Amino acid sequence: MDNRNISLPTKIIVYIIMIAFTVLTVYPIFWLVIQSFKTNTVYLTTNKLSLPASWYVGNYPFVWIQGNFFTFFVNSVIYAAVTVVAVVILSNMAGYAFAKISYKITKFLHGLFIVGILLTLQSILIPLFLMVNAAGIYNTRLAVLIPYVALGLPMGVYLCTDFIKSIHDELLESARIDGASFMKIFTRIVFPMCAPVSGTLAIITFTGTWNEFVLMNLMTATEKYKAIPAAVGRYSGALGSDYGKLFTSLTVALIPILIFYFIFRNQITKGVAAGAVKG
Amino acid sequence: MTIQREKRLSYAVLVLPAVIIYLSVVAFPTIFSILLSLTNYNGGAIFGNPEIQFVGLKSYVWMFTEPTGNFYTALGNNLLIVAVSVFGQIPLGFILAYILSRKLISKGNSFFQTMIYLPNVISPIIIGVLFNAIIYGRNSVLMEVRRLINPDAVFTLNTTPMVPVLVVILWMFTGFYMIIFLANLQRIDPAIIEAARIDGAKEGRILWHISLPALSGVIVTTAILAISGSLKTFDLIYAMTSGGPAGQTRVLSLYMYQSAFQGAPNYPLANAISTVMVLISIVLIVITRRLGKTFGSKEE
Repeated sequence: MDNRNISLPTKIIVYIIMIAFTVLTVYPIFWLVIQSFKTNTVYLTTNKLSLPASWYVGNYPFVWIQGNFFTFFVNSVIYAAVTVVAVVILSNMAGYAFAKISYKITKFLHGLFIVGILLTLQSILIPLFLMVNAAGIYNTRLAVLIPYVALGLPMGVYLCTDFIKSIHDELLESARIDGASFMKIFTRIVFPMCAPVSGTLAIITFTGTWNEFVLMNLMTATEKYKAIPAAVGRYSGALGSDYGKLFTSLTVALIPILIFYFIFRNQITKGVAAGAVKG
Repeated sequence: MTIQREKRLSYAVLVLPAVIIYLSVVAFPTIFSILLSLTNYNGGAIFGNPEIQFVGLKSYVWMFTEPTGNFYTALGNNLLIVAVSVFGQIPLGFILAYILSRKLISKGNSFFQTMIYLPNVISPIIIGVLFNAIIYGRNSVLMEVRRLINPDAVFTLNTTPMVPVLVVILWMFTGFYMIIFLANLQRIDPAIIEAARIDGAKEGRILWHISLPALSGVIVTTAILAISGSLKTFDLIYAMTSGGPAGQTRVLSLYMYQSAFQGAPNYPLANAISTVMVLISIVLIVITRRLGKTFGSKEE
C-alpha cells in the first residue's frame, strides 16, 4: 500500500509541517518541566531558554509538602473515580431502557439528555450554587460529585443508547422467553456486552472530571475538598512570583494526566471522535 | 407480578436515577436561571424573601445599554474565538488529519498524532498559568526573547491583550479538530481511493473529489463544535489573564462568573448573561437537529 510514489518535494513539505507542528505543541511543556529544576533566582537571572547549569530538585519536596499536593491528588482521584463509576452505571441503565424497552416517553426523555450535550456548565453555575447552599451541602465532596455525575450523563446516555440499539433483539428476546427479567437481562447480558462503550465513556468522563476547575472551586471553600486544578498558581501573584515553585507545581499537576494519556492515548482519541461528532 | 407491571417497573428503575439527577442538576437550574434573570434577586434567601421583585427585562436592558459595553466586549471575544477555530484550527486540523490519513509520511503517524493532541488532555488551568508566565510581565519569556532581538526593549503593557489568548487557544485545540477529521477520513472506503489512484488520479484530485465531499457534514459539525467550544471557554482565560486588563479579555462565561462571584455581586446581570448563553446553545441545538435530519447518518 505505502510504496506508491509521492514526489520528493511533497514529502519534504509534509514532513516539515508535521515536525513543526509537533515541536510547537510539545516545546512549551518540555520547557516547563526544565524550569522546575531551577531556583527562582536562577530563573530570573539566567537565560530563560537555557538548561539550568545545575539541576535543582529542591522545588519538588517543597511543593509536594508545603503545597499539600497529596490532599489535592486524593480529592482528584475521588472525584474522578466516583463520577466515572456513577456515570457509566447510570448511563448504561438508562441507555438499555431507552434502546430496548419501548415506551412512548422514551423519545422525550432521551431528547432531554441529548439537549444537555451542547449546554454550557457556566450558564447554570448560579442556580447550582444557590441550590447547593440551600441543600446545606456547600463545601462537601457531595456538592462537587452530584453535578459532575449529572453533567456526565448527556454524553453517557447518548453513547450507551446508541450502542445498545445495535445489540440484536433476538438475543434479548430469547432470554425473555427463558424467563429472565429485564433487570436480569441488564445485569447478565447487556451491561457486560457494553464493555467497549463503557470503556470509552469512562475515559471521556475521567479526563473531563480530572481537569474540571470552576465548579469544583466554587462548590468548595477549604483545601481539604479541592482537587489538583486548584493547587496550581499559588506561587504566582501580583507582588511577584516564585517561578521555580510555580513551574514545579504545574509539572507535578501535569504528571498524572500525562501518564494516563500515554497509557490510554488510542482510546482517548477514539472516544473523543465518537463523542464529538454528534451533538 | 404481571409482565406489564414488571416491564413498567423495570423501565422506571433503570431510567429514574439518571433522569432525576439530570433534571434537578441541569434542566431545573437552566429554567431557574432564566426566571431569576427576570427578578432583582441579588443574594440571600430565595424563598419568602419579600425584597425579591419581578422586574421583567430590566437586567437585559441594563446589560445591553450600560456605558462600559462590557457585554459587547465579552461577546466579541467569544466571536474571535469562533473565528480562530473556523479560520485556524479547522483548516489546520484538516491538513494534519489528511496527511495522517493518507499516510503521506512513512513513519511516525501515531507519534505525531499523540503529540499534537497532547495539550487537549491537560487542564486549561495549567496551560493558562503556564502561558501567563511565558507571555505577561517583566520576567516573562516573551520579554526575554524581545531583549535578545533588541537589547533596548522595554516592558510595556500589551495593547492587544486578546491576541496572546487566541494564539494559545489555537495552539491548544488544533489537535482536537485533527482527531475529528482523522476519524471521519478513516471511514472513507480505502478501495475507492485505491481505484482512483489506479485510474491515475493525483493526490490533489483525490483530496478534491473524494475526501472533501465525504466530509461535507463533518465540516458543519466542527463549526458547531467551534461555537459551543467558544461558549465553554473559561478556565484558560481565567488562569491566563483573569479577563484583564480592564475586562478586555473576558468572554461571556467569565463575565458572568465575575459578575456573580467576584467583588460586589450582581446576580441579575449574571443571570441575564447566563440566559444569553443558554439561548445561543438552544439555537445551536436546533441547528444540529435540523442538520442531523438533512445529512442523516451520513454525518457520522
